[in-house]
Amino acid sequence: MRGTVFTETMLGTVRLDGEPGERRIRLDLRAAADRVLLPHRTTRARLTGRARIAGHADDRCVEGELEVSPIAGRRIRYRLTFTAGGRRLTLDGWKSVTPRRPLASMTVLPFTVYEGGTRVGEGVLRFPVATGLAPFLLSFRFPRRENPAEHLAPRWNGVPGRTEVWYTTLTDPASGTGIWLHHELTAPADGSEPFAHGWAAAFPREGEVRHARFGPVPWTRPTDGFAAEDVTCCAGQLTGTAGDFSWNLTERPQGPPLFTFPRWSWRRPVLPAAQMLPADRATYEGEVSYGGATLTLRGAPGASARIYGHGNAHRWTWLHADLGDGDVLEIVAAVSTRPALRRLPPLVFLRLRRGGRTWPRRPERSAIGRLGLGRFKAAFGLPAWTVTGRTALRRIRVEVNQPAERTLTLEYRDPDGARAVCRNSESADARIVLERWWGHWRPEASWVLDGTAHAESGDR
Amino acid sequence: MTADGLVAALLADEGGMKWPARVPYRLDSVLAALPRPARAAVHTAVAALETYAVVRTGRRLAALGPDEREDVLRSLAARPRLAPLLDLLKVPVLLAAGTERMPVAPATATTPVDPPLDCTPAEEWPARSTADVIVVGSGAGGAMAARTFALAGLNVVVLEEGRHHSTASFGRRAPLDRFAELYRDGGATVAVGRPPILLPVGRAVGGTTVVNSGTCYRTPDHVLARWSSAFGFGPADRFGPFLDEAERTLRVAPQPLDVLGNNGLLTLAGAERLGWRAAPLRRNAPGCKGSCQCVVGCPTGAKQSVQLSVLPDACAAGARIVTGARVRRILLDHDVPGPPRAAGVRVRRADGSELEILSPLVVTAAGTLQTPPLLRRSGLGGHPRLGRNLSVHPATSVAGRFAEPVTAWRGVLQSVGVEELHARGILVEATASPPGMSSFVLPGLGRELRRELEGADHLATLGAMIADRPSGQVRGRERTLVRYDLDPRDGDRLMTAVRAMGRLLFAAGAEEVLTGVPRAPRARSLDAFDELLTSVTARDLHVSAFHPTGTVAAGADPQRAPADPEGRLRGVHGVLVADGSVLPGCPEVNPQLSIMAAALAISDAWLEGARHGR
Repeated sequence: MRGTVFTETMLGTVRLDGEPGERRIRLDLRAAADRVLLPHRTTRARLTGRARIAGHADDRCVEGELEVSPIAGRRIRYRLTFTAGGRRLTLDGWKSVTPRRPLASMTVLPFTVYEGGTRVGEGVLRFPVATGLAPFLLSFRFPRRENPAEHLAPRWNGVPGRTEVWYTTLTDPASGTGIWLHHELTAPADGSEPFAHGWAAAFPREGEVRHARFGPVPWTRPTDGFAAEDVTCCAGQLTGTAGDFSWNLTERPQGPPLFTFPRWSWRRPVLPAAQMLPADRATYEGEVSYGGATLTLRGAPGASARIYGHGNAHRWTWLHADLGDGDVLEIVAAVSTRPALRRLPPLVFLRLRRGGRTWPRRPERSAIGRLGLGRFKAAFGLPAWTVTGRTALRRIRVEVNQPAERTLTLEYRDPDGARAVCRNSESADARIVLERWWGHWRPEASWVLDGTAHAESGDR
Repeated sequence: MTADGLVAALLADEGGMKWPARVPYRLDSVLAALPRPARAAVHTAVAALETYAVVRTGRRLAALGPDEREDVLRSLAARPRLAPLLDLLKVPVLLAAGTERMPVAPATATTPVDPPLDCTPAEEWPARSTADVIVVGSGAGGAMAARTFALAGLNVVVLEEGRHHSTASFGRRAPLDRFAELYRDGGATVAVGRPPILLPVGRAVGGTTVVNSGTCYRTPDHVLARWSSAFGFGPADRFGPFLDEAERTLRVAPQPLDVLGNNGLLTLAGAERLGWRAAPLRRNAPGCKGSCQCVVGCPTGAKQSVQLSVLPDACAAGARIVTGARVRRILLDHDVPGPPRAAGVRVRRADGSELEILSPLVVTAAGTLQTPPLLRRSGLGGHPRLGRNLSVHPATSVAGRFAEPVTAWRGVLQSVGVEELHARGILVEATASPPGMSSFVLPGLGRELRRELEGADHLATLGAMIADRPSGQVRGRERTLVRYDLDPRDGDRLMTAVRAMGRLLFAAGAEEVLTGVPRAPRARSLDAFDELLTSVTARDLHVSAFHPTGTVAAGADPQRAPADPEGRLRGVHGVLVADGSVLPGCPEVNPQLSIMAAALAISDAWLEGARHGR
C-alpha cells in the first residue's frame, strides 16, 4: 500500500482580535497521508511545516491534519496548531470546492483562528497558482506504507537447502555497547529436519567481545516470527537466553521498511539470498544481561533485519549505520557462491535513506549500474573496507573500520554444510562522505560514526 | 407613488381629511415588502384600472373628480368577474388606509427588557466555524431542539434567516411596518390553487411564534392516536410529558376575562345563548394587556414566544444564534459507509457572501414550507413523498356589525375558542385584527367602502379554521412554491363554519353579518344569511391558511414517510427534522405546542440514541 506526500505553500492575511489591521500570513506545509490520494475519496493526512505571521509568529513546528475530499465532501480542510507570540493557536479552515468555480474554490482557504476553544481571529489564505502550482505538483510522492510486522513472519516454505535469518543489532547509547542477536533457521540441503539456532553477542567499548550460542533445536514452524525453545523474535518483542546471556527487549519501529536488495528479489526469491529491514530504524527498551552485567536499554537505536536464501555469500560485507535525524545507511556487498558468478566483482547494494528519500532510487543502480557501467564498488579487507559509488549528480564514499579487539569471529555453516567465517563488529567505526555535483564535486553531507556502526565481513 | 388615483377612488377621498393623502405613501411601503410577483400583479392591476379609467373618461383616476371616480368604480363593480381583481387591490389599500386612519401611538409605558439572547449577525460570523449541532430555524421546533441539545452540553448554533426583534422595537413601530419585516414575503405567501390561499409564515428569531396569536392547544388525543396507529409516528405514544414541558416553558394558562375585549365577550355571549361549548383560549401570554398586536409581535412582552421563553434558556446553556443567515444547503460527506452523512451547512449572508459551519448533526427546523426546498437543494430530496402531504388549516372569517361600538382591536387578538363543532373538524376562534390591520375584507368600493371603514369599530370578527385533508404540496428548490387544492369535503366544512359563525354573531346580537364575499356581502337576519349562503361556495370565500404541517412526515412506512418515526431523515445520517413538517398529519388545533413537543421528543430520542451509541 502506498501513501501520499506533498508540499504546499499558501499566502494570505489574518486579522487577529484586538489588532487594528491585517497581518500577512504564510504557510509552508508538508502533508503525508497513509494512502494514495484519490480525488473521489476522502484522504486524511498529517500536516507539518512552518507558519509565519508577519511580525507575530514564525513557528517551524506546525502540526496538524489535512482532510482532502474535493468530490465526496467537496471540501479540503486544514487544521493546524502553531505557536504565535507565546500563544498556542489553532487554525481551522477549509476550501469549499464547487465545480462552478473550480480554480477559486480550490485555492482560497478561509480560516478561523482559535486559542483553546475561543475564536481569536480569522483570515484567508490563497494558493499562489502562478508560482506555487509547479512545485506543488512536482512535490507529489506516493511512498509505500508497510507494516514492519508483516515482514517478520517466516518465509521458509519447506524446501530443503534454505536458510532464514532474523537478526537484530543495536547500540546502548549509555555505555556504547553493541548488541547482536542472531536467530537462524536452517533447512539442510540433504532434506533432514530443519533446526533453529543462533547466538547473542555483546561488544562493549572496554573489554572483550562476548557471545553465546543457543540451539540447535527442532524448528517448530511458528507463524509470526522466530521461536526456538525460550528464544523468540516476533513483532515488537525479543526474548531469550543463551549461555550466560539473557535478554528481554521491546522493539519500536521508527521508520518504513528498507529493501537493501530489490523488493522483487525479496518477494520472489530468485537470487541466492536477499536481505531487508522491516523497519529502517528501531529503538529498543528492556534489559540484556551477560557475564553478570546487565544493560538497561532506553531508546537504544538499532534495527532488525531479515535474510532469506540458499546460504551465505562467497564473500560479503555488511554495514548498518544510524546517521541520526532519521537518516540511515545500509550496505550489503557480496560475491555469490555460484561458480560463474564467483568471478564477478562484488555486487554492492547501498541504500542511503535521508530526509525520507532513498538514494539511489533503485537498488539495482548501485549493484549493476547502467548496463554494468557505473556500478558501485567495494574493496574488501580487514580491519577496513570501503564502498564507493556515484550516480549522475551524487557520489558517496564509505570507509568502515572493524578493529580486531571489537570484532567477533564466528563460523557460519550453510544449509549444504559449507563453512564460512564471519567477522562481525557491532561497535565499528565508519566515515561516510556524500558529495553532489554542482560544477564540481561539493560536499553535501558527511558522517563519522565512532563505535556506533554495525558491520560485518565474511569470507570462506 | 404607485396608485394615488386608485387610493383616492377606493377610499372616496374628497379632500376633507388628511389621512387619505398619506395612504399612497404607506401603500408603497407595503408593496415594497411583497415578493416581486405579487408586486407585479398589483402594479398590473393598477395599470389596468388606470387604463380603464382613461378609456372611459379620457383621464387618469387621479385627475378625476370624486363623482367621476365613483362612477368608474360603480361600472367596475357591475362586473362580478372583476371582483377578485378589485379585492386584490383592496387588501393592500385597506392595510395602508387602516394604518393611516388610526395611527398607533408608540408605547409609552416601560417595556420589559427581554431575556438575553446570544445573537450574531451573519456578517459578523466567521466564514468557517464548527459546531456540534446546527439548528436551521429558530421557530417553535428549532428553539426547542436547540435548547435540548444545548442543555445536553453540546455546542449548538442556530441559524435564522430573519432578524432579531426585541419587545422594545415592537413598541416603537407601527404594526404595518413590523408586519412587513416579520413575515416572509411581506406576509404575501400564497398557495397556488383553487381558490388561491394566503399562507402567512413568520421570519424572525422566534419564527412564526413571534407572530402567532399565542393560542396553545394540546394535541388532541384522537390526533395522537391517529398519528401513532395510522402513521407509526414514534413520539405520539409518549407525547404527554413533552406537551407538559412545552406548556410549562411557555407558561400556558387560560386567558383571564379582564383583558379579553368585546370581541371575545360577544363570542362568549353568543355561544352561551346557543348553548355551545366556548371558553377563553389557553394562551402563552401571562399578563397580557390586550394590545391586540400578537400577529405583529407583542409590544408588551407578555406573549411567551420562543425568543422570550425557549431561546434564552438555550443561549444560557451556550447556544448561539446567527441572524440574517439563509441556509443554502446541507453539506454531505459521501465517502462514508452506507448513506451519506451530514457534515454541516453552507449559509448565504444578506450581502451574498457565504459562510460554512461544519457539524455532524443538522436539525432542519426551517418550517414546513422551507424545509423541503432546503433538502432538495442539498441533494436530499429523493423521497417521493418529500414536500407532499401538506396539511394547513384553511380558515375564513366573518364579521358582525353591532349597534354598540365593539372596538375589536382593544383586547386579546384571539380570545375565545368555540369547540362545539371541533369534533366535525371546525374550530371557531374569536379573532380580532390589530389596529389598522383588518384581516376581514370589507365590502364595497368608493363611498360604500369608506363608510364601512369609518364604521369598522362596530365590527366583531370571528375566524374558523378546519381540519383539512392533506391536499397540498411544497415544490421548488430555490424558492418555495406551494400548491394547495381545497378538498371538496374541506370546502363543505368551510361553508359549515361560515354558517356557524354567522349564527353565533346573530346570537350575540349582531345587526348584520358580513361575509366578505363581494357578490353576497351582508345579511341582516339568520334566515337571510342562510339564504345568502346558498349562492356562495368555498371558492368565493377569502380563504387564508395557517399552520402548515406534514411535508417531511415522520412515520414507520419508508415508502410513505421521508423521515423515520424518530424524526431522522431517511437516506442520510445526521439530519433531524424538528418543525411542523415532521408532523404526520393535521394537528386540528393551533400547532405550536405540538411542534415543540415533537421537536423535544425527536431531540431527546437522538440524545438517548447517542448515549447508547446508535
